[in-house]
Amino acid sequence: MSDLSRRQLLQAGAGLALAGYGLSGCTVSRQVDRSTAGQVITPEIDGDLLLYNWAQYMDPALKSGFAEKYGVEVSEVNFDNLEAMVVKLRSGAQYDMIWPSTEYVARLAAEGLLAKFDRTLLKNVDGVSSFYNEGWWDPENEYSVPYTYYTTGIAWREDEVSGMTGSWNDLLNPDGEGRMFILDDFQEAIGEANLINGYDLNTEIPEELEVSKQTLLAQKEFARGFSTNSVQNLVSGSAVLHQAWNGDIVNVRNQVDEPELYRYETCSEGVPVGTDFMCIPVNARSPGTAMLFMDWIIQPENAARNVRWNGYPQPCDGGKEQFAELVKEEPAIDVNIEELSDTAMEYRLDNPDARRLWTDVFTEVKAS
Amino acid sequence: MAAGGFWNRFLIPGGLWLLLLFAFPLCFVLALSFGYVDDLGRAVYSTELSNYGDAFDATYLPVLIRSVGYALATTALCFAIGYPVAYYIARYGGRYRNALIALLVLPFFVNYLVRTYAWVALLADEGLVNTAVVDLGLRDEGLRMINTPWAVIGGLTYGYLVFMILPVYGALERLDRSVIEAGKDLYGTPLQTFLHVTLPQTKQGILAGAVLVFLPSVGDFVAAQLLGGPDTYMVGNLIQDQFFAANNWPFGAALTVVMMIFLSIWMFAYLRSAARDVRGAAI
Repeated sequence: MSDLSRRQLLQAGAGLALAGYGLSGCTVSRQVDRSTAGQVITPEIDGDLLLYNWAQYMDPALKSGFAEKYGVEVSEVNFDNLEAMVVKLRSGAQYDMIWPSTEYVARLAAEGLLAKFDRTLLKNVDGVSSFYNEGWWDPENEYSVPYTYYTTGIAWREDEVSGMTGSWNDLLNPDGEGRMFILDDFQEAIGEANLINGYDLNTEIPEELEVSKQTLLAQKEFARGFSTNSVQNLVSGSAVLHQAWNGDIVNVRNQVDEPELYRYETCSEGVPVGTDFMCIPVNARSPGTAMLFMDWIIQPENAARNVRWNGYPQPCDGGKEQFAELVKEEPAIDVNIEELSDTAMEYRLDNPDARRLWTDVFTEVKAS
Repeated sequence: MAAGGFWNRFLIPGGLWLLLLFAFPLCFVLALSFGYVDDLGRAVYSTELSNYGDAFDATYLPVLIRSVGYALATTALCFAIGYPVAYYIARYGGRYRNALIALLVLPFFVNYLVRTYAWVALLADEGLVNTAVVDLGLRDEGLRMINTPWAVIGGLTYGYLVFMILPVYGALERLDRSVIEAGKDLYGTPLQTFLHVTLPQTKQGILAGAVLVFLPSVGDFVAAQLLGGPDTYMVGNLIQDQFFAANNWPFGAALTVVMMIFLSIWMFAYLRSAARDVRGAAI
């Protein structure tokens, strides 16, 4: 960065800021090609596949197997953040399949960024858990098929921490002082505080959020940090107590010498459950191939294989059984599908003002 | 004059590059900072000033003070570690000078994020360093290093050290050795010679290094995110969270603009000092 550029840019910036007012009212995105919206997609090969997924979230053998069987190329690019994924979609980038969470399915559908497809055309759709029929995020079953699901609970080390009670208050178990982590995710952090205080998981009432903020501030005093990297924190010994997603604990147990020491519990006040879905963007180049690929993922043998590989359960035949088998030593890690029927335990903030309220609370906690 | 006009043309490619890929996108940041978020969570350009009002909220003051404090500590450490290294290479490196500089730069071929992850593995409670400390019998129990402000400052120092070494090395290399000899001829002890001759002569190199270390350190978010604890939240983390967690791009943009103006003040202070020195040298 040269000196000159900084000065130039300040001068130019002032001028162009004025020009910027001409943009007033425009959203920050290019027009997405929605010309194919409403077309009926049939599950048949119509081109190569470009997947847009979290990194390390699918067994590569599924891709190569599909490519071999159907004679197409399957490429994958990764995002490390859902917000970044949405921005790419809005900018007109074309992918054939994406993996949004529950809230993001609803948001992307409302924005018209997702293609509609008839999921009954998938051969293996009957094996998908009925919980995913007509959910609030996709009331007509038009946009999504579930990929994996997970619970949020507490992980701990049996050799360091004793007296766990199955409550969110266990985050303040005295044995974990200075070695406890809270997830660095505003919804998970505020969510557990809401549950501790007996509020609705997704409360939008400012007074209640203020109380939860105090709960979080007290936890922060006790904690070692905010982090979503529970696997590394636990494996490296820096954490003995960790708010965590169940699938990550499967990974922890795979990486350590004494897996039985790494325990996981869900909490009696409430178990937040999340799901990542498979969706087809409205501007996909090969939506037909994408549907075939979805069908491939939920085929029982493939689902089982994928669960073994990435440690997260899939809510479909094959995937569920494989996961139960995988965690039979620590059954608390398994997701009880009955928990999913309590919708209050899913994060849902579709009002931007409420979202702002929540993020402000979390920022204030972290900044203080 | 004609020759100057000819050479000025060489500025065009670089100038255009900076204008198109740096100044122009920054104008979008500036424009966005007056925007708001619509019901679908999309950023919309507008003419609101509220983001700037929020940016000066008292909540964020400790974050700014902390960031500047860490950056100053990082700059001081980089100077304390970097100057002797640069001095040794410049004075005693001999024919290995360039090789030594290349060795210093080599780790920087690896991405900063990846190198910081390596630090996590090194500093963890049961990480490589602590395991070695316990195995060697130096201590019964490992030290708590990670998730502390010290780990963040250490990570920043490691990340930006080379930006101090290189300008200081440049200044030392340009230093006329006869002035050091003159200092000794005037019965200066090695320390006096260093303090009254070498150090002032390399002041511009030190200042350039300080600016190069300080500016990116203030805005850094990687070190605090990976090595920090509950009380190490920095401005860079705040801005990053506005973009990727809070989904409030306009506010993130406003924070970025405020931050740039704040950092520009330091930059201008440096430029003025450099200009004064050049004038002083000319007289």
